[in-house]
Formats: sequence, C-alpha cells, structure tokens
Amino acid sequence: MMETIAVYWEQPIKTYGFQMVTDLVLVAFSYPLKEITSLGRILSRDALQEVKSEFIIAQESGDTISITLCLSERDYRDFWVSVAEAPGSTPCEYTYPVGIIYFHGPHFGDRYGIAEATFSTLTQANIEIVASGCSASSVFVVLAQDDIARAENVLSHTFEVAK
Amino acid sequence: MKVGGLRQSLELCQFDLRGPEPSDGILANISRILASQKSNIAFLTYKTNKDKRCQLSFCLNQDQSPRASKILNQGLQLPPVWEMKSREHVGMITVFPRHSALIILGAVLASWGAQSIPIYGIATSLSAVSFTTDYRIMDKAVVAVQDSLQLPGNRAPIKPELHYYQSEVKKRDKV
Repeated sequence: MMETIAVYWEQPIKTYGFQMVTDLVLVAFSYPLKEITSLGRILSRDALQEVKSEFIIAQESGDTISITLCLSERDYRDFWVSVAEAPGSTPCEYTYPVGIIYFHGPHFGDRYGIAEATFSTLTQANIEIVASGCSASSVFVVLAQDDIARAENVLSHTFEVAK
Repeated sequence: MKVGGLRQSLELCQFDLRGPEPSDGILANISRILASQKSNIAFLTYKTNKDKRCQLSFCLNQDQSPRASKILNQGLQLPPVWEMKSREHVGMITVFPRHSALIILGAVLASWGAQSIPIYGIATSLSAVSFTTDYRIMDKAVVAVQDSLQLPGNRAPIKPELHYYQSEVKKRDKV
C-alpha cells in the first residue's frame, strides 16, 4: 500500500459551490433487518423508477435499520404507498417543508476538518441540523426550509467558493 | 439497472452514538474533537427525530480506532443516557453514479439481505451511494452488488491503492 501525504494550504477551505433544494418532504421510518430483502425488492420495483430522492441515509440500530429520505411531495405519496405495504414497516415520520444544502470540494473525502467547519458554523449560528450525510467528497445537510438561506450565508463565510 | 462502477474503501472503524440531542450540538462537538486529532471522517450519517433523540454514525480509518475511542470517551463526556458503540473491520462500498439511487438502494438491500451480508449504514453523496458493511466479507458483498446491478463489462471494482494523509506541515513551517 502506497501512502501519500497531501498538503493543503487553503485558508479558508475551498468548495465548488453551494447547491440548495427546497420544498422537500423528509421521510423517516424503521425496518426490521430480518425483512430487509422484502424492502429491497419493493424499492427495486418499476413503480418507483421515477421517484427521485435528493438525499438518503440509513442507520443500523440493533435489529432495525432507520432509513431517511428527502423527496418531493408527489414522490413521497408514490413512495409511501409502496413501502407501507412492506412487512414490518413502521409508521413514517413526515416533516415538511425541509431543504437541503450540499456542497463538495477537492479531496473532501481525504481531509480532516471539513465536517468541523460545517457543523460548528451551523451550530454557532443556532441553525438546527435535522439530518446529514457525508461520504465521498460531498457534504449534505437537511434543515428546516426557513434556515436554508441563512445556512448558505454563514457557510459562505466559512468556505470560499472556487472561481 | 446499469451503473458506472464500484469503489471499495480501506479498512474502517465505525462509531454509533444514540441519545437525546445535547444543547450544544453533538455534531459540532464530535467533529471538533476529531479535527483536533487530525482524523478524517470517511463517512457520516446524522438524524434527529421530532422527539429530539438523535443517532450519529461515522467511520474513520481502522488505524485510528484505538486513539479515537480513547479521545471520544475522554473528551465527549456524554450524559449517562447516551450510548456509544464502536465496531472494527468496517468496509465501505460505493456505487456510482447515483441517479436512480432508490433502485440502487433496493437492489443492494435485496441482494445483501438474501446473503446475510450486514448493512451498517448508507449515505448518498453528489454522485454515488455508499454502503458500510463488514470489511472481512467485502469480496462477497462486491460480488453480490455485481450480480444485482449491471456494471460495465471490462471495469473491475476500484480498490484503494493510495492511502492519503493530510500532513501537519504548513507552508510557513518550511520557510
């Protein structure tokens, strides 16, 4: 295994820009892991081919997995009609409206301090983080819709948008 | 379902924390502690419920596991009602691109579930869907994904060949 030491001299941290999506429904539900194959088959159905999810995370917790998605209102209805019939599905948590702010940057996945810069900035601005997912070089944050513009404003002071 | 490819991670460790949301924000606290130790977060999911209970899961490189456990236990001072679990030997498989993420999610859940391959966490990014599982059965997990999704015929899963570290050396240190 070759080890490469990367050195970044950025101050502030550069990003390729902030993207926002609003008017979304946050859907969260838990599902028994022993039935996960059934859920997988339902999600693979043709009926859900057109459903577009802007954000998906899942967290394992003992015997269950909690799945959180952000969908448009219309897609939410189609989605939940399918998933509600799955064996063992719990009632879903429904939050509307929420928005997503997401961004990525050079080697975000290989560098420390990106999450700290994001979450400290939002916490210091008293912006409540509803959900988040960070993987590869992306940071996704789900917020109450009313907080999205303010989040972009404060994050723009922490990060520099590359020209 | 056609996808562009798969990428495997290095060996990781995963921390799962659950409890009522502290007033000062668990996300900011933990990310600050990890940044102070120069620990890169390879994967993170966070969700708070309407009753203000939250779960935070994150992955670090496996070689950081003992130090991170010690530092988190010392530095976080979580209330007793909080639960923190860690697991070693975690691997991440990333499927890209992520358009039709639900279909990719369904295919992986169905195939891994049928073969008793554990799922520790899932997160979408700008261009991919990442799944964490047991590192020791990564090859089996990759084959299951290959069997359930249509990959380009001549493209093998990308395995990590470089291990990046961010140096502590700054430009001014060299002057």
